[in-house]
Amino acid sequence: MKPVFLASALLATVLTGAAIAQSGAPIKLANVAELSGGGATVGTNWKNGIDLAIEEINSKGGVLGRKLEVTHADSQSNPGVARAQVQKALDAEPYVLLGPGYSGSVKVTAPLAAEAGIAQIMGGEAAELTQAGNKFLFRTSFGQQSSMPKVAKYINDELKAKSVAIVWVNNDFGKGGRDSISKEFAKYNIKVAADLSTEAGQADFAADVSKIKAAAPDAVFVYVNEEESARILKELKRQGITVPLVGETTLVGQKVVELAGDAANGARGHVGLTTDAPVELIKAFRDKFVKKYNYVPDHNGLKGWLAIYMIKATTEKMGKVDSKGFADALHGFTITAAKEPGILMDATFDANGDIDRQGFLVEIVEGKQVVKQVLPKLNN
Amino acid sequence: MTAAKYLKIGFGIVVIAALIIVPMNFNRYGLFILSQWAVMTIAAMGLNLTLGYAGQVSLAQGAFVGIGAYTAAIMTSNGLPLIGALGVAIVLCFAIGWILGYPALRVQHHYLAFVTLAFSTLAFLVFRNEDWLTKGIYGISNIPRPELFGYPTRRPLPFYYVCLGSLGIVSLAVWWLIRSPWGRAFIALRENPVRALSLGIDTRRYTLMAFAIGSALGGVAGTLYAPLTQYVDPVPFHLSLSLDLLMMVIVGGSGFFFGPFLGAMIAVLLPEWLRFTQGYYLMLYAIAVILLLIYSPTGILGILDRFISERRTKAASAQRAVAKAKLEVTP
Repeated sequence: MKPVFLASALLATVLTGAAIAQSGAPIKLANVAELSGGGATVGTNWKNGIDLAIEEINSKGGVLGRKLEVTHADSQSNPGVARAQVQKALDAEPYVLLGPGYSGSVKVTAPLAAEAGIAQIMGGEAAELTQAGNKFLFRTSFGQQSSMPKVAKYINDELKAKSVAIVWVNNDFGKGGRDSISKEFAKYNIKVAADLSTEAGQADFAADVSKIKAAAPDAVFVYVNEEESARILKELKRQGITVPLVGETTLVGQKVVELAGDAANGARGHVGLTTDAPVELIKAFRDKFVKKYNYVPDHNGLKGWLAIYMIKATTEKMGKVDSKGFADALHGFTITAAKEPGILMDATFDANGDIDRQGFLVEIVEGKQVVKQVLPKLNN
Repeated sequence: MTAAKYLKIGFGIVVIAALIIVPMNFNRYGLFILSQWAVMTIAAMGLNLTLGYAGQVSLAQGAFVGIGAYTAAIMTSNGLPLIGALGVAIVLCFAIGWILGYPALRVQHHYLAFVTLAFSTLAFLVFRNEDWLTKGIYGISNIPRPELFGYPTRRPLPFYYVCLGSLGIVSLAVWWLIRSPWGRAFIALRENPVRALSLGIDTRRYTLMAFAIGSALGGVAGTLYAPLTQYVDPVPFHLSLSLDLLMMVIVGGSGFFFGPFLGAMIAVLLPEWLRFTQGYYLMLYAIAVILLLIYSPTGILGILDRFISERRTKAASAQRAVAKAKLEVTP
């Protein structure tokens, strides 16, 4: 009898010891992002946002008394590598998977996370990602299917444009936006006067702009990255195009204003997530980020930050660290900035993992971003 | 057979057995990386034929992997079997490789590199812009993994065996090829094309053949790549893959049969091992490759080759010395 008793006592001690260690052990997160290759800016901003948020949460005592811990893996902006790294991350059974940022890499990794039953909070913006019925995938920003209708509505209602030239960058981000907005234009009977695909990193837009000039549209919709936005704005000004220039997030960013100078004046656009938003919490975030990393983050930095606060709010709502229940708890959940300041703006997550949040229509006036209109959440 | 030969065969059997048995305990990540190694080795073997044996610089091997991958993706997601896609990919890549070989008849070395580089860019543009066929920049997702002899290979381990088995078959075929008159003709072509021509080797046909066979192997690798990642988009088949493959061949040892195996191991596995250094892993990897090529421009197998031939020279000179001594002793 005695040895059995001793053994069970020992076992009990070990088990409780393990249980205590469990509740105090850090919560493990895994991030797979584009830290090198074509998406390095995207992934690095995303990673820095994550690190900043974790640092802040841990300094305030963590989530449910446990610290957060994250591992970063580089996908080299390559879907094949992203798949390997996500596989590796999932083998280590993280609480939640973060990333990737490229839609293609999300597409190849989402089924793996779903199979493992682990929630994946990612940065991809392609419309189709959340429409495949994956119950474990969550966005950190508007998908193009929710931002483009707002832009098209503005072009139709406010600008009363009947024909529009579209300039887009030929990667999955640009093409997705171009396809979404073309669909919206068709609904309003707006004619696409010119459909111009450009390359990422393109330096000379003279030919594209002269095509726009020849097509003589009522407005130009520009959907390219920040650097290219600045270049095309300069060229549009040089060739004397005066019709309204409309964009989505990238066209009216602070970086564009800095690079394009005067040429940026008059550019307007819809902004879902920007560090220039007229929201005190976002300004505070931006200051913290600049203090730590010495540069102004783009929206990917915000997305990484938000992902961590989504995890914090959801976990606190559940009252426990439950990887399997996480996705269910986040579906239909509204995180308010009043209760969780880290979320910056009230956000609701629907059954598909799409995010609903305020948006802004802004215009560049004398080198400053001016909010013309605040677009409310779709469902209040 | 000599003892050395037995040793070689024994070593080979141990390696093959290890490749079959050890991964049984691997997690999904390890299996994925090993499968990737097998696939990249096949592509690099193709390039080794073109570059290492026939001496034709090609920067288009990545494009052929892409053509194979897209063939597999398009056909299998339309319900056709992978083995059919394999056939189509081989024929397609062989034909395109043959045509691409024509410039090689007129230009050499870096000029040929430019021609193949242009082809590589062209292939990327076709993958990206021909939406109706390739689904453009969005890529093709949910590529099914095949069923072999009634066994599904959806799980990582069975699919690893598919990749390993394919590597085995390709290795045997290439082994045979480089020992056949064709292989010797390829080497003659590399060493001295004028002399090869004067010896009656149809250099024109063999140049085209080297390109076509090398490209077809790129296609084989591609047909495995698509079901491995289960997603293809144009970006991975850009110039960087061709450069990677070129590096694998040169680092492993261009013109050595086992060069691509080692080269692919370095290109696929070394960055993974170095990942613990976080942000520095690609830098360290690059430095390691640069140092290796400074130390031995002929790659890893070049070092081995040098070592063996030095030993042979030493042994031979020792024998010579003995023989000479004997000669001098006997009157």
